[in-house]
Amino acid sequence: MRITRIVAAFLRAAVLKETAYRAELVGNLFRSLTGIVVAIGGLAVVFSHTSDLSGWKLEQAMVLMGVYYLVQGIVQTALSPSLNEVVQEVRKGTFDYVLLKPVPSLLLSSTRRFVVWHVADVILGGTVIAVGLIRLEAQITVPMAAVFVAVMIGAVAIVFSIWLALTTLVFWFVRVENITMIFQLFFDTGRYPVEIYPFWLRQLLTFVFPVAFITTVPAQTITGREPLVAIWLAPLVGALALLAAARFWRIGLSRYTSASS
Amino acid sequence: MPPDVSVRDLVKHYVVPERAGGLRASFRSVLRRKHRLVRAVDGISFQVDRGEVVGFLGPNGAGKTTALKVLSGLLHPTDGEVDVLGFTPWDRRAEYLSRITLIMGQRQQLFWDLPAADSFLVNKAVFGIDDAVYTRTVDLLTELLDLGDLLTKPVRQLSLGERMKVELAAGLLHGPRVLFLDEPTIGLDVTMQQRIREFVTAYNAETGATVLLTSHYMADVKALARRVIVIDKGQLLYDGALDGLVRRYAPHKTITVHLERETDLPDLNGQAEILSVEGLQVTVRAGKDDAPEVTGRLLTQLPIADLSVEDPPLEEVIDQVFRGEGP
Repeated sequence: MRITRIVAAFLRAAVLKETAYRAELVGNLFRSLTGIVVAIGGLAVVFSHTSDLSGWKLEQAMVLMGVYYLVQGIVQTALSPSLNEVVQEVRKGTFDYVLLKPVPSLLLSSTRRFVVWHVADVILGGTVIAVGLIRLEAQITVPMAAVFVAVMIGAVAIVFSIWLALTTLVFWFVRVENITMIFQLFFDTGRYPVEIYPFWLRQLLTFVFPVAFITTVPAQTITGREPLVAIWLAPLVGALALLAAARFWRIGLSRYTSASS
Repeated sequence: MPPDVSVRDLVKHYVVPERAGGLRASFRSVLRRKHRLVRAVDGISFQVDRGEVVGFLGPNGAGKTTALKVLSGLLHPTDGEVDVLGFTPWDRRAEYLSRITLIMGQRQQLFWDLPAADSFLVNKAVFGIDDAVYTRTVDLLTELLDLGDLLTKPVRQLSLGERMKVELAAGLLHGPRVLFLDEPTIGLDVTMQQRIREFVTAYNAETGATVLLTSHYMADVKALARRVIVIDKGQLLYDGALDGLVRRYAPHKTITVHLERETDLPDLNGQAEILSVEGLQVTVRAGKDDAPEVTGRLLTQLPIADLSVEDPPLEEVIDQVFRGEGP
């Protein structure tokens, strides 16, 4: 209950802060919308030359694109702003104030900031998924929807874990912006099904940098495509990634508390 | 009653990368880093009782901030034992963190773009403060710090001094029993420094909280702390009453005389040193033991309008301590 109150307090502050800059809000909404229109346009261009992209139809690829924006929206609204804040604060020394609060530092570090307007990506992503599914005339049953939600939670957990692990490097290197850029590069491969990539890259994106679990697997579960890997692996990988990242965070933190000045 | 703060043989060493200036040295350091051991705190022990206000004195890099950070649980010490309110600080238990605060004059915690009141609400949730207690605390802090309408203005519009006042309030919302204040008056103008000092005194009197503070400004220490702990190069040089410090480290008295008319100065037998002669005002420095005799001689041999005998200013005493002079 206390956690809910804490998150609510941060959310309230975030909304207040965003509304203080209304011009920025409008500009960012416009940017989101443009981004997604261009992405769908790109898909349309590809599919004007072929009706089948490594076995994916246009509508299925649209659903995948929608999943990509949905995940990206969730991450950019609720997760990456807080973690970016950690990077800033470690450099400025104000991270000390996080450690002085009687709340687990990981909880505070990952729920403190919200960039509310990124919700636009979530809504747009959801809309694109819905349009894709309607055009596919897909029959979505309740169990299918439940599996999709579970797989999506796994996907968000994976993204969050990778982001958290990269952020944790700040306790050693202080400057980590370049490393998070690399993450974005990999994450961008998730706009397309992993099947389109050469074998070696597909393996890399499935087992090492599990982008496949973030967009391809969720899109497969709901468009009724033959799954790339066993579906239950997705939430499992998510849970394991979270545990590993939390562990890594604790190691980084103990370095901070024994080394910083 | 056990002391609120108890520190025994505290040691904190860091390993820091080291390199010479210049491009070549910096290229070399990318390939092979040299490291150096910094003994920030090197075996200090002290205790602080409930309700005491203690000033930590020391030059830059003496280890004051490091000591406060260990006490507030931010740093693991290399060695030694610390007990604050029955807790080991670096376990960072929630019960412990709810009972202490660390306020750093150079580091802000408030949301920059929002009024402080909004940051306060976040702290209220984080510390799980009751509505009634919260209202009472904010009222008390508003009165003691004279916050007025500062809480409703965005923090970025506040002056440095106003910002420090709301930062102090933000750090005290949860009613901590032990306050660690690191340079709370740094960069503030004299009036605002004065206000902050008065606040700390009033807060200590009102709540009985224990206060450990570091400062560069002697005025802070003089006004606030009856007891001072002097550390330098990680070691404790003095722990005791402020006037004791002066007695111990200032073996001289400064004697100032105003003459009625110009005249030759008497021979002082090497017992005193003439520091300055400005018109009719003469200042001499004499050893503490010689001071009465020197004063007597001045009084009998000179046409004196006025005479005063003083301890040297605290700044001078501290400076002497840090330069390793005196006993």
